[in-house]
Amino acid sequence: MTGERAYFIAGYPVTIYGLSEQSVTVEFGTVISEELLGIITAFNQFLLQNPFSGLISTVPAYCTLTVFFDPLSVMASELDGEFCSDKVVHYLKELGRTQNLATTAASNMVIIPVCYDDGFGPDILTVARTNQLSKAEVIEKHTSVQYTVYMIGFVPGFAYMGGMDARLETPRKEIPDAKIPAGSVGIAGMQTGIYPMETPGGWQIIGRTPLKMFDVNRSAPSLLKGGDLVTFKSIGIDEFNTYAEQ
Amino acid sequence: MSMEISIIKPGLLATIQDIGRYRYLSQAVPVSGAMDQLAHRLANKAVGNADEMATIEFTYADAAFKAETDLLLAYSGDGAFLVYNDDLMPPEKPLFVRAGAIVKLVNNSIGLRIYLAIAGGWEVPDVMESKSTYLTAGFGGFEGRPLRKGDVLSSGPATGNVSVAILDQLQKRGLTYPNWRISRESLLPENRKTIRVVLANEINWFDATSIISFLTNPYTIDRRSNRMGCHLNGKTMVRKIKKELLSTAVSPGVIQVTGSGDLVILMADCQTTGGYPRIAHVAAVDLPLCAQLKPGDEIRFSEISGDEAEKLYLEREHDLSLITTAISLKYINV
Repeated sequence: MTGERAYFIAGYPVTIYGLSEQSVTVEFGTVISEELLGIITAFNQFLLQNPFSGLISTVPAYCTLTVFFDPLSVMASELDGEFCSDKVVHYLKELGRTQNLATTAASNMVIIPVCYDDGFGPDILTVARTNQLSKAEVIEKHTSVQYTVYMIGFVPGFAYMGGMDARLETPRKEIPDAKIPAGSVGIAGMQTGIYPMETPGGWQIIGRTPLKMFDVNRSAPSLLKGGDLVTFKSIGIDEFNTYAEQ
Repeated sequence: MSMEISIIKPGLLATIQDIGRYRYLSQAVPVSGAMDQLAHRLANKAVGNADEMATIEFTYADAAFKAETDLLLAYSGDGAFLVYNDDLMPPEKPLFVRAGAIVKLVNNSIGLRIYLAIAGGWEVPDVMESKSTYLTAGFGGFEGRPLRKGDVLSSGPATGNVSVAILDQLQKRGLTYPNWRISRESLLPENRKTIRVVLANEINWFDATSIISFLTNPYTIDRRSNRMGCHLNGKTMVRKIKKELLSTAVSPGVIQVTGSGDLVILMADCQTTGGYPRIAHVAAVDLPLCAQLKPGDEIRFSEISGDEAEKLYLEREHDLSLITTAISLKYINV
């Protein structure tokens, strides 16, 4: 596949480029928006329900959907095109002729309990100070809106969520922390997210959820996926401990 | 029959790996798997295994293990040579090792990693449909961690027709190994320090001088390199377009340019998404070469087209399937 090509998918102008011999990326735009996310989520679901021979998996991101495939199976298929990437692009283009994709996307609604106690949210006062709010107002604003999961990235199960109240916007730390505990809920710029496992990280940590965001023993290890709708519920330390014991 | 070894010394880093974990990328679970997929697959083929079976990835030499049972082994890669009964064992051949023997890995200055296959594959639980170890999150492989002194590893049942026939023949004739060998050299380019690349989507974000530097200047491997990425030292890249790239999917082989203009070749354990602009990706057939690069090694990049990279990939797969057929034909009457 040579260079990028322009097509329409569900009426959207997209460009498609090869990422490797085993993957192509469909770029739906270059600016984050709920509308774009809806289209990507819907097209992803539609593709997974109507896979081509050799499709392995897909990775939705802010403005792109990347499709991984087995080149040998694709070559052996009846799809049109000389090269594998041609065949895949051709298939995606044909699939993209389907209209009204946005209405076919199904979103999960997930409520995530968070304990905002100081011990769990060492940076909540930084977020409050940056935005001239009280700690209680930070919690109130963080729990009063519905967030959209834009994508899962960074480490297994880490959900990047948009839709946060602009009055909570706080830049990430200049020097990342060496260890952020699993379950930590953080803010970086206009996004909020949850660390599924202990890792280094630069987000401002405002609380912690007792839920396992990623568990290899579940059939879907990641609790969240791209397109999910999330709300946070404030819980006290006792309730946190009850959850954690379960 | 199950075979068993115990680790006497694991060396710098020894982990269980296979062909990788591709079905959970959307949950940000990395591909992982053997860094040098070619060596991993050849080691498996040499004992009659399917390519998917798990091998042990050893980093450099300075490792040793004890045969707790008779073993049918094979290894491939440039990180070490196996020594058994004071003899250097040839790579890419099935090796029959007697119970009680101690097998050592001794220095091979050419590369970084070898893959040790056993008939039946190393038996560890599947995690998300793969036996590969992902150390950052501590799952997969042997208890989600590197192998340690005293670990006992068993093979799955070596019931494959070819494995059984190889073992049978070596035992009957009292041989350590047969006279045939897979030629890994014939699959690799003559110059293993020239890495073929396909220019990437953000190529025009860099100024022309930088692109020329990338394709003509040498780069050396930095000490920070690991299973996540190969960090390079050399001429830094200058951005012509300075906009931010919104995080999007990446994959092993992608060459990212960091904020300081340095190049990083993403490797097996890389994150599934990244926000650094990409200048190129390593042709899949040359990624095994990157897996054998040691700190201080000097490489150059040479450009090929995406179509050419795909053609090379399909040719390589064809050659690999011929090897499997050839080995089967040696042992099984059809």
